[in-house]
Amino acid sequence: MIYLDNAATSYPKPAECLRRALELYLKMGGSPGRGSYDLAVAAHERVNGIRRRLCRFFGGDDRYHLCFANNATDALNTLILGLVEAGSHVVSSRLEHNSVLRPLHHLQQQGLIFFDLVPFTERGFIEPGEVAKAIRPDTKLVVLTHASNVLGTIQPVEELAAVCRSRGVPLVVDASQSAGAVSIDIKNWGVQGLAFTGHKSLLGPTGIGGLLLSPDLNPKPTRFGGTGVDSRSPYHTSEYPNRLEAGTINLFGILALDATLDLLEQTHTESYAREMLLLKKLRDGLGSLPRIRMYAVQDLDNHLPLLTCTVDGIRSEDVGAILDGDFGIAVRAGLQCAPFVHHDLGTIDKGAVRFSLGPFTSEPDIDAAITAMTAIAR
Amino acid sequence: MNQLSESAATASGHKVCRYDGRKILLDQEGFLVDPSAWSEGVAVEMAREQGLEGLDEAHWVIIRFLRDYYFAHGKAPLSRDLKNGTGFSLLEIERLFPGGLKEGARRLAGLPNPRGCM
Repeated sequence: MIYLDNAATSYPKPAECLRRALELYLKMGGSPGRGSYDLAVAAHERVNGIRRRLCRFFGGDDRYHLCFANNATDALNTLILGLVEAGSHVVSSRLEHNSVLRPLHHLQQQGLIFFDLVPFTERGFIEPGEVAKAIRPDTKLVVLTHASNVLGTIQPVEELAAVCRSRGVPLVVDASQSAGAVSIDIKNWGVQGLAFTGHKSLLGPTGIGGLLLSPDLNPKPTRFGGTGVDSRSPYHTSEYPNRLEAGTINLFGILALDATLDLLEQTHTESYAREMLLLKKLRDGLGSLPRIRMYAVQDLDNHLPLLTCTVDGIRSEDVGAILDGDFGIAVRAGLQCAPFVHHDLGTIDKGAVRFSLGPFTSEPDIDAAITAMTAIAR
Repeated sequence: MNQLSESAATASGHKVCRYDGRKILLDQEGFLVDPSAWSEGVAVEMAREQGLEGLDEAHWVIIRFLRDYYFAHGKAPLSRDLKNGTGFSLLEIERLFPGGLKEGARRLAGLPNPRGCM
């Protein structure tokens, strides 16, 4: 099988990294932060070391707080629900994934918040000026994607952060697609909150993600329970990281991220450059086919290695099934959980096909994808 | 026109249509709500609505495989099972049915609407 659905989850996983993490997990075992015996203390210290490492990887310093979550959706729910109050106004964009859109819609449906979604340009970018126009005196939060999961466009985060900072509104960035693929520099960007998942470009297993907070952002806890500290108190602790981590954390997932960071810190810049060359080849190959329309790939600067297209006259789900059944190529077809992007592209009814590359994608994989699409579009 | 009047829409958003002399419930995309309500006559009339005058042997091979597989396994076949089970490539099936794989073959076979990421 040729796997071109790395934006959904990276595959294959770096087996040696996961094996190392599993061996350590089997040895370590104890519940981090719950117990004074050596095994639990060692697990706790190990986890905190990985927190600091991930924090540095994303450009934070020792004052930043890194809390683990199940995935980016979980982290975004924690951030959004923890940062709004009754009557808050929130600004987001039409590029967002449902991991942002649905929390906002549910909160609005409950009468708690109001929100506005800024548009994106034909090339797939959010204009800082549009965000500036949307911010109101009662805006409490701006939440924007770092990179579109449909278009692959990497947003001008520094400029967007400058707009938010000038208006005194915190910016939370959804780095689901970008974390591990491109450099993230939360402190220098001036971003207050970042949500990430471990199973995409960080190459880890599913079920682990997290959020990173600047020292001046304090979401209220929205889930409560055991943390291993202040057990006499009937109330959830206000101390980080437990403030935003209720219940036992995913030790194996965290150890796995530590192992994949060993690999990524050496390879991710080179890997990204190689994947972008392959993306260019795919774009140029598909660009010559008459029935294929591609979106936001005119300029591949500030882009992730993914390409979304439609085939005139064929539903995207059918294209995906043909690629799978006839050519052994796995892609994501449909709406990619980002309905407003498809509304605006005019692809809401039939969806689109997304090819997303990863560190294990080869040139023959791209040749095969071009051959298959040539046959389908004939 | 087989579809009954607008007043025949149900509270759940389903449509009531008359195919093969019977009233049949369809979802909003025109898929049978109950696969067992299907008949060859239903398939023929649905095909005609999509501009396909008459189903030939190739169409019936695919429709029968889809239905046999669905009732044997309780689910629609995977892409490779459909290809291996019918002897047709998915691209050939796409081109045989005006609505393609999903809205053509699968719908005419009376299988439920797959609720993927659409």
